Amino acid sequence: MRRAGAILWKDLLTELRTRQGFSAMLSFAALVLFLFSFAIGPETELLARLAGGLLWVAIVFTGTLALGRAFQSEELAGGVRLLRLYPGDPRAIYLGKLAANLVLLAALEAVLFPATEILFQADLGSHALPLAAVAVLGTGGFSIVGTFFSALTVHLRARELLLPLLLFPALVPIVLGAVGATDAVLAGDALGRAGGWIRLLTAYDVILFVVCVWIFPIVLEE
Amino acid sequence: MSGPAVRTAGLTRRFGRRWALRGIDLEVARGEVCALLGANGTGKTTLLRVLATLLRPTAGTVEVLGVDVRRGGDSIRGRAALMTPAGHTYEELTGAENLRFAARMAGGTLATEGVREALARVGLADVADQPTRSYSTGMRKRLELARVGLRRLDLVLLDEPFTSLDEAGVALVQEAIADWKAAGAAVILASHRVDDARRQADRVVRLERGSVMAEGGSA
Repeated sequence: MRRAGAILWKDLLTELRTRQGFSAMLSFAALVLFLFSFAIGPETELLARLAGGLLWVAIVFTGTLALGRAFQSEELAGGVRLLRLYPGDPRAIYLGKLAANLVLLAALEAVLFPATEILFQADLGSHALPLAAVAVLGTGGFSIVGTFFSALTVHLRARELLLPLLLFPALVPIVLGAVGATDAVLAGDALGRAGGWIRLLTAYDVILFVVCVWIFPIVLEE
Repeated sequence: MSGPAVRTAGLTRRFGRRWALRGIDLEVARGEVCALLGANGTGKTTLLRVLATLLRPTAGTVEVLGVDVRRGGDSIRGRAALMTPAGHTYEELTGAENLRFAARMAGGTLATEGVREALARVGLADVADQPTRSYSTGMRKRLELARVGLRRLDLVLLDEPFTSLDEAGVALVQEAIADWKAAGAAVILASHRVDDARRQADRVVRLERGSVMAEGGSA
């Protein structure tokens, strides 16, 4: 855990120093939300009904940008495989990167949720607690699978294209679960329909986490 | 601890259809400095990367510090280090932060004084708190030397350690090699600076097209 912590510390410090990545992500996310709201038009009821889906599409699109950058800093520093020269379980590299991605996405969502409330006039504030649970599970699943594919594609020439191509199909259950749970919570059905989606998200997150952690060392093989 | 630091027999490594190493037989004793010489693309870096456990051999036997590289990678990595030509440096971090990160990744910690000392040894004390993106190539090389020197090692693998360094920098590397040798560590260095490599090496191995072409004591 100490090595995972070192990677988390290093990545967050780098992000704080440059700020370029986060600012670009934030601008892109705001742009996506604005475009959706313009495309749908001024019909407030429709906007509010679609808010959950549009919010998660914005998170997935923007998060994919963040994930693409996760291992690029390692390439600039000589290659992610050089991290394998340190003794210890290479899974610590995955866990550190995963934690850094989670922190970045959480910071992004701290802005996106209120922005969605304003733009789509959806009442997110009064459902803050169940929505936070959905956000944790949805973001967790997204980061777990995204961090893995980011490491897998970092050495490929067409990585910008291949990352979403590999990632999006694997995200289908997460997006379905997150959107379904968000819609159910916003419809006031936090204990009923949302519960089913939350159970699906939890199960999928756990399975993905175990599989990704298990096979990550193979990704670092040259 | 007995036995050589490195023992390879029939070591072969292939990248697709290209053979980078063809049946390398090599033995390096503990406390010995071995120089790998050869033109570009002769397999020096590949050999170092196999010994550092970064690459798996395609065929042959490779024992590093008495451990088979296919089975005991982690045990080897705890006692060996590889210094790469470009270094392993994060540009947004300062020199001191880079060393602190390396120490934590190696499973230890490095107090501020330890960081200062390590940087002072390689002549970077004055720029310890500057981001390494402002460092020259030679300064990054010195930082890499400080990083490798953080741990107590039984095997040191140096890939082009003299490249990009001024005379003072070259002297620092030579001093470090002498210190490692005195401490009983085996040192394997791949270099284009034939004279510097020969001066320090107990033995010179010349590679050509992935094979050992000549081997002997330093001139």
